[in-house]
Amino acid sequence: MKLVMRAAYAAGILATGLALSTGAVNAQTKIGALYPFSGGLALLGDESFRGLELATEERNAAGGVKGQPLQIVKGDAVDPNQAVGEARRLTSVDKVTVVFGTYSSSLSLAATQVTELAGVPYFELGAISDPITERGFKNLFRSNPTARDFAASMVDSIGDAIAPALGVDAKSLKVAIIHEDSLYGQTVAGYQTKRAQEKGVNVVETLPYSAKSVDLTPVILRLKSANVDVVLQTSYQNDTVLFFRQAKEQGFKPKAVMGAGGGYSLRETMEAVGAANMEGALNVDFTQYKTNVSAAPGITEFVAKYKAKYGIEPRSGHSLANYVGAKIFFDAMAAAKDFSAPAIRESVLKVDLPVGATASGWGAKFNEAGQNTRVSPFVMQWQGGELVTVFPAKAAVTKMKTGLGSN
Amino acid sequence: MDVLIQLMINGIMLGSMYAMISVGLTLIFGVIRVVNFAHGELLMIGMYAVYLLCNKLGLHPYVAAFPVIVLLFLTGVLIQRFIIQPLLDADEHIQIFATVGLSTALVNLDLMVFGADLYSVTSPDIRVTVKLGTYNVLVGQLVMLGAAIALVVGLHAFMHKTALGRAIRATAQNRNAALLMGVRVNQIYIITFGMGAACVGLASALVSPLFPATPTVGTYFVLTAFVVVVLGGMRSMYGAFWGAMIIGLVDSLSAYYIAPDLKEVVYFAIFILILIFKPTGLFGFGRGTE
Amino acid sequence: MSQQPMIDVQRGSMVHMLAFQLTRPQVYCSLALLSLLVLIPVLSGSAFLIHIFVTICVFAALSTAWNIVGGYAGQLSLGHMMFYGIGAYTTSLLVTHFGLTPWIGMWIGAVLAAIVGAGVGYPCFRLRGPFFSLSTIAFLEVIRLLSIHFVGLTGGSAGLIVPLKIGWAWMVFSDKANYLYIAFSLLLLCLGVSLAIRQSRLGFYLTAVREREDAALAAGINNSNVKLKAVVVSAMLTALIGAFHAMYLTFLEPATMFSLGTSIEVAMFSLIGGLGTVAGPLLGTVLVVPLAELARGWLGASVSGLHGVVYGTVLVLITLTLPAGLVGTFGPRVSALVARLPGGNRRLADRITPALRRIDGTKGEDLIRTNDLVMRFGGLLATDHVSFTLKRGEILGIIGPNGAGKTTLFNQISGFLQPTSGTIAVLDSQGAQGGYVSPTAPDAFARLGIGRTFQIVQPFGRLSVIENIMIGAFLRHPHVDDARAVALRVAQTVGLIEQKDVEARNLPIGALKRLEVARTLASEPSILLLDEVMAGQNQKDTMGMVELIRAIRDTGVTIIAIEHNMQAIMSLSDRIIVIDSGRVIAEGDPQEVVRNRKVIEAYLGEDFVDAQGF
Repeated sequence: MKLVMRAAYAAGILATGLALSTGAVNAQTKIGALYPFSGGLALLGDESFRGLELATEERNAAGGVKGQPLQIVKGDAVDPNQAVGEARRLTSVDKVTVVFGTYSSSLSLAATQVTELAGVPYFELGAISDPITERGFKNLFRSNPTARDFAASMVDSIGDAIAPALGVDAKSLKVAIIHEDSLYGQTVAGYQTKRAQEKGVNVVETLPYSAKSVDLTPVILRLKSANVDVVLQTSYQNDTVLFFRQAKEQGFKPKAVMGAGGGYSLRETMEAVGAANMEGALNVDFTQYKTNVSAAPGITEFVAKYKAKYGIEPRSGHSLANYVGAKIFFDAMAAAKDFSAPAIRESVLKVDLPVGATASGWGAKFNEAGQNTRVSPFVMQWQGGELVTVFPAKAAVTKMKTGLGSN
Repeated sequence: MDVLIQLMINGIMLGSMYAMISVGLTLIFGVIRVVNFAHGELLMIGMYAVYLLCNKLGLHPYVAAFPVIVLLFLTGVLIQRFIIQPLLDADEHIQIFATVGLSTALVNLDLMVFGADLYSVTSPDIRVTVKLGTYNVLVGQLVMLGAAIALVVGLHAFMHKTALGRAIRATAQNRNAALLMGVRVNQIYIITFGMGAACVGLASALVSPLFPATPTVGTYFVLTAFVVVVLGGMRSMYGAFWGAMIIGLVDSLSAYYIAPDLKEVVYFAIFILILIFKPTGLFGFGRGTE
Repeated sequence: MSQQPMIDVQRGSMVHMLAFQLTRPQVYCSLALLSLLVLIPVLSGSAFLIHIFVTICVFAALSTAWNIVGGYAGQLSLGHMMFYGIGAYTTSLLVTHFGLTPWIGMWIGAVLAAIVGAGVGYPCFRLRGPFFSLSTIAFLEVIRLLSIHFVGLTGGSAGLIVPLKIGWAWMVFSDKANYLYIAFSLLLLCLGVSLAIRQSRLGFYLTAVREREDAALAAGINNSNVKLKAVVVSAMLTALIGAFHAMYLTFLEPATMFSLGTSIEVAMFSLIGGLGTVAGPLLGTVLVVPLAELARGWLGASVSGLHGVVYGTVLVLITLTLPAGLVGTFGPRVSALVARLPGGNRRLADRITPALRRIDGTKGEDLIRTNDLVMRFGGLLATDHVSFTLKRGEILGIIGPNGAGKTTLFNQISGFLQPTSGTIAVLDSQGAQGGYVSPTAPDAFARLGIGRTFQIVQPFGRLSVIENIMIGAFLRHPHVDDARAVALRVAQTVGLIEQKDVEARNLPIGALKRLEVARTLASEPSILLLDEVMAGQNQKDTMGMVELIRAIRDTGVTIIAIEHNMQAIMSLSDRIIVIDSGRVIAEGDPQEVVRNRKVIEAYLGEDFVDAQGF
């Protein structure tokens, strides 16, 4: 008897929950927001979402899209199975017009398989894995740079920025690629290796390691033994901190260290490592906040809006990236004939913004696969405890320094 | 050659860290025969406690060790009394699930309260590099090595020379016989779990200056701790110590000579081989896997 | 509440049996409830609900497959996702690189998983409880790390994307309901296999091995083969589910495919529902998955980590309050209710074998020849150059003071101990030339026709009396019905027929001793080794046992009995061997042996002997 009652109770809860989540029907355009709001990626998932939220509020204050305000319906996913479920829910239960997301590449890959089959447009604002836009999908568009763009930026800057600053020939530099072994690290490092081959960069060591490591000394000793000059690292916060600390302890001082976002972009990393130790560390990532305003118009206004709403400085460049991307897509939606998938596609493919036209400094021109081709991540550097943009010159606020660590 | 020696020194330092964490598990596993999947979370709790004491109250990490040891002892007592004790006579699967559930709850509780950020204890005097000849070692690592040795020797002496220690060993060997001899077995278990947790408390204080606290820091260590305990034989302090040293060396050397992302494969492979071929542990100290 | 009288239904043709099964309330209620898993989502038309139910079916199937190893065999595998991942990756890679349809690819994945399962199980099954679990975790982690490392093969952490080719051939659909049909079919497959195993010889053997390894060996069960069968079946089913799920998610990465967390969850569903039951895993999944989804929906977005706290706490609470799981705790009550529905008062009539097989053979021929047996335990010499011969048709008694080494000798002639030196030759009557062989493993001895009881009884506590006896009967009668028929006859012979459905752990010692003999008898041995079967019983029971032993000998069975009860052993034995301190000190006719000076000295001491003037 108890069992039957328990089952009935559970079924009742399930039904109520579903009913509540469908929401009321009114004259608004519903847009889905699929991010990892819980779990290990929650911090940056939430930060990314804030960019979308700010863009939506701004747009609604200006009259919405096609005269109708936009209403955000959140979807939370911790793993691909949940991403599939949430994508299903957003498209079939909440019946959103379009879906924005996702920060995490694996979640994006899973969710977009669903939306493509459902014929609902998906706007990716922050995930970097290239295969997302390499599947021949018709309803998927991405505004941000990909892992390949990151890798190209990093490897190219060896020849374009680092070697000149050091006053040496780029081909004489011994380069090492080290990375954590999850999707993020493996993807970027893979493209780095390919790009290095194309550009004739001398890679002497490629070392993957687990992001949860508590000890990177063997990695550092390998780099030391190989007399590495330039280290390209793709890492999260923990391993970045470990690397800098243990490199200092083992007396390993390469000529340059460059990260691919992740831990390298976070203030907490710099505080844990120590500003003096991190001095000179280079970083390629989504646009950060110490960027030349002439290359990124609107960036100071964005920071002001963020502070007004959330009470703190933006925690990373993800919010800016999502904000910029959302605005581009809102404009495309407004210019479309209607909100059908083919009309939206037609409108997005017509978008033509030059580089330097948005608050992140990116342009917007989407290829057939839906990928924005006018995005090139800038190179930043930690100077005096601040992450400042140093390359290319147009976006730079100060000159690039050489060497690592001011002590 | 230089690199090899530096790697071995590094391995020994890693080993002393594993030793401190695993000694507590040897006690718990060896005496109470419970697979405590939440062991790593004890480390996590300790590290966050040390962080709060150091960064909010300005204590030095080694000073913070004392209250943290007490805190962990009490935590261990509570876990044993309210979760393990009711399940002592249940099937082993039930015990495993109870500790797995505890582990999940603790990790997520930490995530709720502190978020996913890293919390580093700043202690510049511990992270000072000391030179042994041309080789580099941190002050904090040497302290850890010393503490590990002291802990193992001390515990061994305690177990063999004191009445309480003897009672613990008796209970470990035959619970029912010990009961018949008038030993209060439930109390012994509570004290033992508390002691095991307290060892982890000491470990967390010494380890905190060396790397940051995150909610999942425990899950990384718990599997390694089990490998060490099995390697060393389940009931021996010295076995756990030497087992930890071996794993530390394997960790360091295989990361360099094979690949950093495959080092865990190496010591899990060793783990499996030991379980299959030498279940009493490498040194035969333990009673094996029955 | 009056019990309806049970109506016995005679066995008959296949159609008749099928009709009988379908009219049982247990069967038609289960079928009706199962069909809800498909009806509810399909009728609702909601793609989201279909997703939830596909997830429920997938996890219920995974848990049911896991239960075959974790519940039936009692080996708590916490690395089972290794098979899921192998199935998923194999199928996806074959689709991507060779364009092979997943319907074929999934079977290749299943075979691969079976091989890995056997490879993991074979060395690891001898590990007890937590160590086996730890070893499965280690294997899972190794496989996960290797699949991350070999990026070229598996796509590494970046993941593997399944090409979106639509259609039944590719198992990718735009109509989501098709996924549900496939998932449900897989669930039915797993449930069917689980049920079939439970009711077959393999199921009984798994229970026996799980409960008492030694008694299982003595009943002729090859423990490791039995567990291997379980792991192979479980691995194959798990891999099939993995293959389907890969086609459903169309995106694979090592972290989710080889997830330790999911492995633990799958085991947890079985635990909550009821370990070792058929319906348990399904019930556990049906209860937990929707609640977890709801919790995540309500709590997940608000505070990061809250739903994990709730999840973990619930798990701890359930282990503390419901250790037997849902089925174990509520099962009997639900069964009683269901039995009151129409059709619940009918059961199949029992069939009893007319008589047990007679043991043929030349009277007086040598059955067992031991030569110069020596057994050392470290410095202790437990068996000191013992040689004797067992002749067909006799009752041989072995007596001696405590600690003389009688049971040690038994253990050697039944395969539980390997003698340090010396030989044992057993007549192989089934063998081609009918020669003598020297077996080593206990189950090999059992198959040669040597049955033994244990000094401390080893019943399979949770099985009923009749099921205990059936374990022995399975040695010669692989079919459940035949085994049951034989077991009923044996139960009659030993006088346990009235208690046939009582759980063994509820029996008094006298009945347990008879059960021990019965189980051994059911394997139709030609030689019966009885280890102190009279011990601890009253006069009446002892006399009953003596009669029983005589009756057994009359069917042609040869008997060796260790006994302390002098009256009994004197009246029963044709010949007696006396053992003291590991050596044979006297042998021969009971009356002579009992007056032998050395024997009296051994039992009562030198002083007594001198005092009596012997």
